[in-house]
Amino acid sequence: MTTDQWVTFTKVGTVDLVRLAGEIDLANAPEIGREIVRQTGHAGAVLIDLTAVSFLDSAGVRLLDGLVGDLDDQGTPIRFVVGATGPARMTLQLCAFRDDLLATDLDRAASELAP
Amino acid sequence: MTDSGDGGPDVTQDVQVPWEEDPGDLYDNAPCGYLTTLPDGTIVKVNETFLDWTGYERRSLVGRRRFRDLLSPGDKIYYETHYAPLLSMQNDVHEVAFDLVCADGRRLPILANSALGRDPAGLPRVIRTTIFNATERRGYEKELLAARRAAEASERRVRVLQEIVADLAAAPTEADVAEAVVRAPAPAFGASSATVWLSDPDRDQLTAIACTDPAGPARDDVPRGSSRAVAEVARRGDLHVIGSIEEAEEHFPDLAAAMRRDRRGTAVLLPLTASAAEDQAGVEVLGVLGFDFVEQRELTDSELRVVRLLGHQAGQALDRARLYDDLGRREIRSIFLAETTRALEVVPRLMPRARRLIERMVPEMAEWAEVRLHVGPAGLLADAGGPAPDPDRLDERIVEVLASGQTQLTDDKGPDPDCAVLPLVANGKVFGTLALRMAPGRRTAVTEAVFLAALADRAALALENARLYEQQRAIARTLQRSLLANDLPSDPRFAVETHYQAAAHDLEVGGDWFDAFLITPDKLAVVVGDVVGRGIDAATTMGQLRSAIRALASAEAGPARLLERLDRFVERVESARMATVAYAEVDLSTNEMTYACAGHVPPLLAEPGGPPRYLLDARSGALGSRAGRSMRLEHRTRLPAGSRLLLYTDGLIERRNRGIDAGFEVLARAYAGRRDSPLPGLAAGLADFLVGREHADDVCLLCLSIGVEERLERSIGADPLQIALLRKDLRGWLIANDVDDDSTQAVLLACSEAVANAIEHGYRDDPFGIVEVVAAVSPQAVEVRVRDQGQWRATNADTARGRGLKLIRQVMDHASFDHDEGTTVTMRRNRREAR
Repeated sequence: MTTDQWVTFTKVGTVDLVRLAGEIDLANAPEIGREIVRQTGHAGAVLIDLTAVSFLDSAGVRLLDGLVGDLDDQGTPIRFVVGATGPARMTLQLCAFRDDLLATDLDRAASELAP
Repeated sequence: MTDSGDGGPDVTQDVQVPWEEDPGDLYDNAPCGYLTTLPDGTIVKVNETFLDWTGYERRSLVGRRRFRDLLSPGDKIYYETHYAPLLSMQNDVHEVAFDLVCADGRRLPILANSALGRDPAGLPRVIRTTIFNATERRGYEKELLAARRAAEASERRVRVLQEIVADLAAAPTEADVAEAVVRAPAPAFGASSATVWLSDPDRDQLTAIACTDPAGPARDDVPRGSSRAVAEVARRGDLHVIGSIEEAEEHFPDLAAAMRRDRRGTAVLLPLTASAAEDQAGVEVLGVLGFDFVEQRELTDSELRVVRLLGHQAGQALDRARLYDDLGRREIRSIFLAETTRALEVVPRLMPRARRLIERMVPEMAEWAEVRLHVGPAGLLADAGGPAPDPDRLDERIVEVLASGQTQLTDDKGPDPDCAVLPLVANGKVFGTLALRMAPGRRTAVTEAVFLAALADRAALALENARLYEQQRAIARTLQRSLLANDLPSDPRFAVETHYQAAAHDLEVGGDWFDAFLITPDKLAVVVGDVVGRGIDAATTMGQLRSAIRALASAEAGPARLLERLDRFVERVESARMATVAYAEVDLSTNEMTYACAGHVPPLLAEPGGPPRYLLDARSGALGSRAGRSMRLEHRTRLPAGSRLLLYTDGLIERRNRGIDAGFEVLARAYAGRRDSPLPGLAAGLADFLVGREHADDVCLLCLSIGVEERLERSIGADPLQIALLRKDLRGWLIANDVDDDSTQAVLLACSEAVANAIEHGYRDDPFGIVEVVAAVSPQAVEVRVRDQGQWRATNADTARGRGLKLIRQVMDHASFDHDEGTTVTMRRNRREAR
């Protein structure tokens, strides 16, 4: 199974930008998680764009939570870009993600991560 | 004695000779030997002639030896048992043959006459014996005897030869010929043992195939290039008679050793050739017959002639047997090739065809075989039998053969010298390889080179055809799918469910299609059609017709006008002629439907509260039909909310063992029975019920549902991938029911978590478990019930699931969990207006 349709990787300056799209759930979250870890292993900072995510369940939350844990341990800064409303924000807020992890503006978040 | 009266000479008296006749001289020098002996045989008087012939001195005989003492041992016995008794009974004996032993040991054949003199009392007094030299006469007799014996021996040899020739004529195989030949030397020449070696060009050796020794020569195979006597004789092609061990020692040490070991005095090595010995040059030696004698023995000219004749006869028989074998093999090969070609034709697809090829080869001709085709991204491999050769070396060789296109019948570099690799060539390109090891007991790949090349050619052709078929089929399928799967419209006012089922048994794609599109925001068109023919042409034509309908449909035209335009289209696209179409337009604001059927099976309409009915109006001929009604008709009917319209192709109702009328009836009943079934899965369920898995034709269905389902009911398998599909249905249903966005998101999340919980938790050990989901909407709330039959195990360790359950409680206004026979989650979310 390829994860291309759900996750793509680019760079904004020195920041690794991970764009997630579509529905992230039990069926694809573990795969996507492995792919993100593989691609961002040596990143200086990671920005995860969730604005195109149309559904996010607890398996997706588990994936993002694990990611934050790993990167925090390494001292790598991470941010999630979510819309002002929408499924991703709803789920992350319900799961009480820290406010400092969430951003709404991608460019601003990128420049904050890599000043 | 009396005088004769006629006055002639008195012959009672000796004629006086004019010289002195000395009686002593006459006695001594008479032309015969003369002996006087006593009755016991003691010599008392002997003449000079006797002494002269025998070389004895008088004094060594007279008074010292008896007559019988001078006879050979056999004759002494004869003297005692016959001669002496006969003499004493009849007083004389005539012309008895004896061998006298002379003074120097030489034997002198004689004829003896004896007379016995008696005294007045009648008692034996003296024996007088005359001896005639019988040397010449006995020699002549001997010659006669030898000649007779020679004639008999020759006759026997000829008889043996005749028998052998008869046996050879009846011997069908080389082995039988060898068996017949090896039996000849004993009766024909008195040979002690014999062995036949057959020339085997495949193995480049002379194979010891038959032997008179019951133990047999322990597989005494001789390489053709060896210096051994057998190989040398086979190379020279002429008869060798090795008279003694010493002679063998000189030329063939190996033969000398064998002769010494087996105590043989003479050995003969005879090449077996098909043509006469005279024109040896260039004659192929087909084998060697070796035979030997315990004694040292010379072969006479006549024996040598017979030996050569035997070699020639055996050679011809071998030649014939070899041709016969070849013919038999060639016939078997051509039958094999023909049958293989036929067997491959039966299976059109590539992989089954490759498998079939391998199955034909193993184990009949090869103990291991493998086909590799370099097609597609992964290639294709089929193999059977064993043991498989060293994989690394095989890979290397396959790369070589693919690059060079050259067959490798053997391999001198790897651990599997007998493994052959042949290129599979089509259109001048090597697109795969056929590797094999011949079955044990079969001729080698080198010998079968021509046959294997023919097999590889046929296999390549068959596999290339299958590859092309596969390619075309893939293109047709892709084309068909791309045309069928395009986004169908969805709208809260209607729902479309479709199903396409390709024919079983790997037939080519058909030209069935469905389509649904919005002509205007309020006007929906649904189509099911069927193009004549199969394969890529049918798929292409289907695509053209589908596009044409989309292009030609307009808000004003209506179905009849559309069909008229299609008739004109078909005039230009000949392959679309005789295509059939069922077409309906539905005004979504009034639920009024207009439909038309061009040669197509009638739509089936199920209205709420009534049995399904076929729409039999507005029928006309197939597109471009010259025989059918060309006047295009359309019919108008109203669809009450909750109606379901079914369009389908004839594959759904046509079955070999059922008339089409019966088919219509069965379909109507099945459709009626499913009127309360959820729309998703309805079309597939009908197809499954009506045609099953063994359907011979493509089947295409489109079901249009007008109005919205009040309850959403789904049963999904315990597979995480199913959750996304459920969400899709649920989202559409919630939107169709005007549920607000926040509530929709909440219900989707809660429902997903509940189903994920059932799959991950309840059906942890049961991949075939089913999760039932029922959703109902009221003006105040959305209610969802998720039920599984799995095992509930409360484990606090599973924090992730805990998060899921927490999410359910957070987004829903009410959630309850019931763990009785599985788990039932009942959830309610109040709608925004009611919150």
